[in-house]
Amino acid sequence: MQGQKYLLAFVITAAIFATAFYIAGRLDARRIADIRVAQEQVSVDILSLETQFDLLGSLDCLTLSDNPVLSEELNSLANRLSIAEQNLGNDNAEVVLLKKKYSLLEIKDYLLMREISQKCTKFKPIYILYFYSNNGDCPDCRRMGDVLTYLRQTYPGLRVYSFDYRLDLSALNTLITLRKIDNEKGLPAFAVNNGRPIYGFKNLQEMETLIPELKTLATSTTETL
Amino acid sequence: MDIGALGLYMCLFIALYFEVFLLISFIEHAPSKKEDALPRHYPSVSILVPCFNEEKTLAHTVESLLALQYPQDKLQIVVIDDGSRDATQAIGRDYAHRYPESILFLQKKNGGKYTALNLGIEHSHGEIVGCLDADSFAAKDALIEAVKRFESDENIMAITPVMQVYKPRTALERMQSVEYTFGIFYKKMFDNLSAINVLPGPFSLYKREVFKQIGPFRHAHNAEDMEIAFRMHSHGLRIVNAHTSFVYTTVPNTLRTLLRQRIRWSQGFLRNARDYKHMFFNPRFGNFGMLILPFALTGFFAGTYTALYAAYHLLSLVSSRVTDTTATGIPPHLPDPAALNWFYINTDMMLFIVLVVLCLTVVSIILGSRIAQTRLPLKSFVAYFALFGFIAPLWLLRSLWGALLARESAWR
Repeated sequence: MQGQKYLLAFVITAAIFATAFYIAGRLDARRIADIRVAQEQVSVDILSLETQFDLLGSLDCLTLSDNPVLSEELNSLANRLSIAEQNLGNDNAEVVLLKKKYSLLEIKDYLLMREISQKCTKFKPIYILYFYSNNGDCPDCRRMGDVLTYLRQTYPGLRVYSFDYRLDLSALNTLITLRKIDNEKGLPAFAVNNGRPIYGFKNLQEMETLIPELKTLATSTTETL
Repeated sequence: MDIGALGLYMCLFIALYFEVFLLISFIEHAPSKKEDALPRHYPSVSILVPCFNEEKTLAHTVESLLALQYPQDKLQIVVIDDGSRDATQAIGRDYAHRYPESILFLQKKNGGKYTALNLGIEHSHGEIVGCLDADSFAAKDALIEAVKRFESDENIMAITPVMQVYKPRTALERMQSVEYTFGIFYKKMFDNLSAINVLPGPFSLYKREVFKQIGPFRHAHNAEDMEIAFRMHSHGLRIVNAHTSFVYTTVPNTLRTLLRQRIRWSQGFLRNARDYKHMFFNPRFGNFGMLILPFALTGFFAGTYTALYAAYHLLSLVSSRVTDTTATGIPPHLPDPAALNWFYINTDMMLFIVLVVLCLTVVSIILGSRIAQTRLPLKSFVAYFALFGFIAPLWLLRSLWGALLARESAWR
């Protein structure tokens, strides 16, 4: 009888652990599904914009400059992916696949934005191509990410395209080659608009000095304490 | 998963297993309600009140004993002054003078609580010998309820009461009141398992033959109340909990005195556990050897580990936030409202397990308060959950350090 009680307590405890494991797993699965839906939405939006662009040949630039395309959706997607990566690990196959898809969407958005800015002279976007690694070989990447996140929140018009340098994706590798991002010079690395690559961590003040155009952007109502 | 988190999961598994086991015991044997019936027989009882510098509370303690609902000719109160340097001696003498038939006053050089108790045993004559710390007060029917419990089974050799905090006022006292209520549940469940591990100073009662059989109290690293319980188990003597016998005790009201008391208890446990190591995992000693002793020791180290793990992560987080803020130059700002979305809330497995452990803790406290027939106010719960996690690690670490250095702690 006594032995049965020891066993019963063990079974109940193990069951509680198993339930906790199951619930946590289900919530992670829901997060992944959520990201997938968001990616599909962004994908459709980009396709729609491209189609619109192709159909009209030129765009109503006034409308476009008022509506800075997909940056909000991409930012939200980036935050969600970051959480999924934290929970499931950066080597999780599902996370890697989602990151690849996200990177492709970013590249498409980047290309579309460049194309629009060439045709619409009034549309002068400010964007940063940011390259990081979270394989443990970039101790400053987290801080650099914090600075860029803060800038993005402060200046909603600023577009930040962040890419995992170590992600094995041919389109990304092409972008890295085209923008001459040299891994040997160290990460984090970033390029502002069409400028040459800048390497190493830069704090908020340094970034604001590096991108004087930021002053032309409207700031958000981000509250400071 | 890092090795540190794995260790934490193991600690949580142990804590959860223990709580589940005790709740199963509760479901098996829920405590009975108090009955109005009187004892069939009133054995003679001697209550020993060892005191050292207890001028503030001694009178109240003695008054509570004088007010006990018990035949006066069957009750002897023995006040033993262990070389106090305050007015304790005068108060004790005064009471002995006023109630010569009920109260015996003994005075000795300071030698520690166990020496005072042994002197009291020597000079008392009751069939039942009780102890009451001079900072505690028994309920009027506490003795009758305990005697009824003795009557229920002749093999019962010692009894512990239900111990509650006397009029908690400060946050620290309120924290302890919840902790004691939690302890009431634990004590009753240990009783169900025949594995009570301590006979605390406030109103534990022994049959006199216990001392004849296993000898008097020992120094026992200043934890004589724990050691005698260990020794009784090692001799197969039964200890039970009288859950209808209530006693109220004052508790330390400063952090310093609380830490001092708890370090003494914890070190006493570690050292007595070492002295009685032959009982660990020994089926001859039933649940006491197989469950309570191993879990108490594991709990000590698991608590220490959890505290160190939490402290390390908290300090790392704070230090990284400070260095990040300095390095990035980002001014303090409110988090993005989007971060309140469920997506960003941490929902890993550990969160759910910690929530289950906390829920079972609250259930145990509520069951404890039902046994004690008391209701804890919300602010006591707040004090407990806000303070205990920060204060307990201090005495755990300090007592571990003291035990490693073989440093004795004072009993007062």
